[in-house]
Amino acid sequence: MKSTFLKLILPAFAIVLAVGLAFATEETTSSSSQTAYYEHPVLGLQSVTVGNECQDQAGINCTYNGFQLYADMDTSIPLRKQNP
Amino acid sequence: MEPYKNHSGLLTIIKLLFILLFGYTATSKLIHLGQFEEQLGRFPLIHSHASFIAWAVPTVELVVAGLYMIHRFFLMVLYGSLSLMIVFTGYILTVLLFGENIPCSCGGIVSSMGWKTHILFNSLWIALAVLGIVTLQKVKNGQLPKNTT
Repeated sequence: MKSTFLKLILPAFAIVLAVGLAFATEETTSSSSQTAYYEHPVLGLQSVTVGNECQDQAGINCTYNGFQLYADMDTSIPLRKQNP
Repeated sequence: MEPYKNHSGLLTIIKLLFILLFGYTATSKLIHLGQFEEQLGRFPLIHSHASFIAWAVPTVELVVAGLYMIHRFFLMVLYGSLSLMIVFTGYILTVLLFGENIPCSCGGIVSSMGWKTHILFNSLWIALAVLGIVTLQKVKNGQLPKNTT
């Protein structure tokens, strides 16, 4: 019984958990965060997940490690957040 | 102290971790298949096969995760996992070497890692696969007591 649990039921549960986690984190990330891009002088274009407070709007520049963040891969739409 | 005293538990944990990793990243890639294909299409060496690779990678990951449930394939799947992680790491290193402007094409929250963090992350999985292979080989060679894994 223990062997069946370890060999079959536990791995099956892990697969279900993995699929569930993928959908759960997808919903979380899509609702509260977004992917932003910045141009690193050595590494090139880098992506980073940022909060939804950064948008294509007027305000304070959104930066990551001092680099300006952009909404697109062409780094043409700078992200900014409103003054607190 | 016996270093492999709990080798059965260790192998089970390694198995579950790889199932979680491949199950999670494959599903995340399939959720964003279009985006994944677009990112692969930006890489010069493989852009002409981006569509095929976008389907093949999550499919292989899911097959590997599923094969972990069949005990007689355990060693083979560990080698498969090791190969996959080496290929993924090789891809990351190539991208870094070529200096292409390509964001990470990995699935889910893994894609929020930087390239260097991702190499470290992959290295840990490679080490885990090697540990599993070595332990299982020792069990098969009779150097460790055969146990339920």
